[in-house]
Amino acid sequence: MTTTQENRWIGVSAPRREDAPLIRGRGRYIADIEPAGTVHMAILRSPYAHARINGIDTAAAEALDGVHCVLTAADLEGIGDFPTIWRLPGQKECTTPAFAPGKARYVGEPVAAVVADSRYLAEDALDLLDVDYEILDHVVDVEAALADGAPVINEDMGDNTIIEYTFPGINALGVAGDIDGAFEEADEIVSGRFKVGRYSGVALETRGHVAEWDDLRQTLTLHSGSQVASLLRTELAAALGIPETSVRILTPNIGGAFGNQWDRYPEDILVSLASMKLCRPVKWIEDRREALQATVHGREQLQEWQLAANSDGTVLGLKGRVLSDQGAHLHSVGIGPAWVTGAAAVNQYKIANYHCDVVGVATNKTPNSTFRGFGGPEAMFGIERMMDKTARRLGIDPAELRRRNMIQADEFPYFSPGGAVYDSGNYPAALEKALEAVEYDKVREEQQSLRDQGVYRGIGIASYIHVSGFGPSAILGILDYYTGGYEGSTVKIDPHGRATLYTGMIPMGQGTETTLAQVAADHLEIDIANVRVVWGDTDQTPYTGFGSAGSRSNVAAVAVIKAIEEIKAKAVRIGAGLLEADPDDVAYADGRISVKGAEEMRSLSLADVAQQAYWAHKLPEGDQPTLEATYVYDPANFTTACGTHVAVVDVDIDTGKIDWVKYVVVDDAGTIINPLLVEGQIHGALSNGLGGAMLEEFVYDEESGQLLSSTLMDYLVPSFTDLPDFEIHHLVTPSPHTEGGFKGMGEAGCFPAAGALANAVTDALSHLGVEADQTPVTPSRLWSLIDQAGG
Amino acid sequence: MAENMSVVINVNGAGREVSVEPRKTLADAIREDLGLTGTHLGCEHGVCGACTILLDGEVVRSCLMLAVQADGAEITTIEGIADGDALHPMQSAFSEYHGLQCGFCTPGMILAGIDVVSRNPDPSPQEIREEMGGNICRCTGYQKIVESVQAAAAVMSAEGGSA
Repeated sequence: MTTTQENRWIGVSAPRREDAPLIRGRGRYIADIEPAGTVHMAILRSPYAHARINGIDTAAAEALDGVHCVLTAADLEGIGDFPTIWRLPGQKECTTPAFAPGKARYVGEPVAAVVADSRYLAEDALDLLDVDYEILDHVVDVEAALADGAPVINEDMGDNTIIEYTFPGINALGVAGDIDGAFEEADEIVSGRFKVGRYSGVALETRGHVAEWDDLRQTLTLHSGSQVASLLRTELAAALGIPETSVRILTPNIGGAFGNQWDRYPEDILVSLASMKLCRPVKWIEDRREALQATVHGREQLQEWQLAANSDGTVLGLKGRVLSDQGAHLHSVGIGPAWVTGAAAVNQYKIANYHCDVVGVATNKTPNSTFRGFGGPEAMFGIERMMDKTARRLGIDPAELRRRNMIQADEFPYFSPGGAVYDSGNYPAALEKALEAVEYDKVREEQQSLRDQGVYRGIGIASYIHVSGFGPSAILGILDYYTGGYEGSTVKIDPHGRATLYTGMIPMGQGTETTLAQVAADHLEIDIANVRVVWGDTDQTPYTGFGSAGSRSNVAAVAVIKAIEEIKAKAVRIGAGLLEADPDDVAYADGRISVKGAEEMRSLSLADVAQQAYWAHKLPEGDQPTLEATYVYDPANFTTACGTHVAVVDVDIDTGKIDWVKYVVVDDAGTIINPLLVEGQIHGALSNGLGGAMLEEFVYDEESGQLLSSTLMDYLVPSFTDLPDFEIHHLVTPSPHTEGGFKGMGEAGCFPAAGALANAVTDALSHLGVEADQTPVTPSRLWSLIDQAGG
Repeated sequence: MAENMSVVINVNGAGREVSVEPRKTLADAIREDLGLTGTHLGCEHGVCGACTILLDGEVVRSCLMLAVQADGAEITTIEGIADGDALHPMQSAFSEYHGLQCGFCTPGMILAGIDVVSRNPDPSPQEIREEMGGNICRCTGYQKIVESVQAAAAVMSAEGGSA
């Protein structure tokens, strides 16, 4: 853009167009949709962690007045499973079936479904289903699952090891490190063993669908809260054995997704199948217990790291083993998050020698799959704890140790031994800015005097990288990830010069509709009020390769910009003809098409040109009528958002309670489209990150295999009083290879949160030698550690 | 199954009569029988606060009551707080201060916020956090909700003062 009106909307906290209906209670969420004649589905789920299903007697349920049908595995003939789309070499084959395949493998796995006049009645009927279960031995601990003689969860796999994947420490240029040499040479070797707790997005809106089979047209319309409608459409059609062209996915408002809605689920098939069977609309809304049992969990890993360092603090090498507790079977993305952990664990540091083994392990638990952060927060927790342990061992301040090992601003692109290419950033500057904001030296000084008064204050630093903007499709191919990485955008200018933008992105709270409108308004140089954004209808919107995520707007925004470039070029060609000028002498500026140097005299509005494009009476040779363009953008590279968080806390050593003193964020997500919304995303991602760091945990009972935290009384999400006020500062290092310089940022806030919190707690209790190496650091867990340390 | 019962409720200023099963929750009756889908269900066991309404002036969780228990009551839902096209200050503030993202908790938050300010016209951030602890938000991290409620309190006080 070359005009004086550059960036009227990008960089502005434009009000969200999403808000108006939502604040009036006029949002339209999945549960609010109820076409005439809708019947309701309820699902019977396994009450056992591991049990063979020898038979299901459905007679009594079917006989209940108002029940329309009962579905069991016997009704799945001709119905396929959902595939695992990330299929790494050596990974055992694994799919997601609609019903437990002959045996239930976790508490909550679907066993049967009832469709009735009302949800109340459908649940009555569930009580009448008589399932003959043969209870089998179960295992809910990842190490026990690998032990000899452990119950085998998926017999066709032979054992519970789904995949062993090695990161050999070779960078994208093919340069290999020497991990053994690094460990031989090092002055010190520091070890750590970390348990990253199992938790998840736990969106306030539970999952749900309304399926409408049209028997006349032989089409299926699925109203769904999925955040990846294109992929759902492809996979659902395949599973149901109907043409994909016959399936339309409509997305209403989504009440939070957090990655969990990226996956395909058994209920997607079941509600569709029921509608096809009954030829009427079928609605299923998950209840909260189902949501906690049967929407994918996230994070859980057992990590063992060893770090080799010289006494001056130089980190020479890092090696590790990550056991990823996958639950009963691989879900849509397989061990993807754990793979990302292996790829990202060297973080911001120049660690030339690296080795990591990642093992995907089956247990009798809910599948562990997509959740905001996707392996990154797990990696950051491990490495940032290791940096603090190393600092302590070497007697170097943890900030200084980071300073000595960070990749410098002039070292990009940086080829990490995890295989990633970091595009840009200024890691030391972010660290220094965070230290300055938190008044690091002052807090360190006060720490000692406070301790003398019995106040145990700790400071925790955690830096992060977030490889986002997934990713060039060719790279996804190399990673055996069976989707594309592109986003499409169609932009249509109407005869009055207003724009309609069609995107495959799905707003789920992050304000995508607003931010994409900002990008379009700026690049068309028209008022944002004249941009309409169409989303949530697979019959209208472009296919999206990867699907909506908190960190995808950057890729979608480029598709918008590229489509608009084509529109502007065409407008110039048409305008030149009307202005009787050479196209080379005509330019698009301020939403007008004008002869250069004669803008006052010889100029047309976009509406003037658009009207001519629709009349098509006088178009340039080779141009088609109307004014629209579609661009499918496949990113040239990943983008890496980065930054540093510093947490300051006081620990009550009598109760294990953690009180907030301060939480400072410095982030760098390249060019920011909407500062207010970016702040909101950071706050929200932090609440996800700190929730899992302090409170949230899916707890399984070893003895029974039951999920104990299956209500919101037991699964504790952060409330108003659990979180601090966050202080946010930005650095802006535009991505060098995306149009606009945007980087994905919607997930970044949760990356360093657990590391910062655990480092702060460990720092507060350094006199006791307490190490917060397991998340969540709940008061009871911390109190036990303090107690064991004699505090 | 028990026979349906007739329940008379004053909803957002208008008398309504519905016929419901005795076991039906008030939340379900509001959504299904009264057609007011702004009242959301996040947990149906009284923890999340998404179904918050005002009943005879008190904030209640409509998932924890049966519809038949509300017979004769006056209730206010999110649909009843704007004055025609003019938004309630709490609604405006949530939008202006980015107090909502996905919007699912928002109706309950707005009603809870109105309740807080009705009892404490000038609440501190800490008071807001403590008073609104019964409502869960998964998107915002709460900070911008606190700012929204504070801003609305200032407007409500000014309006109340001039009235």
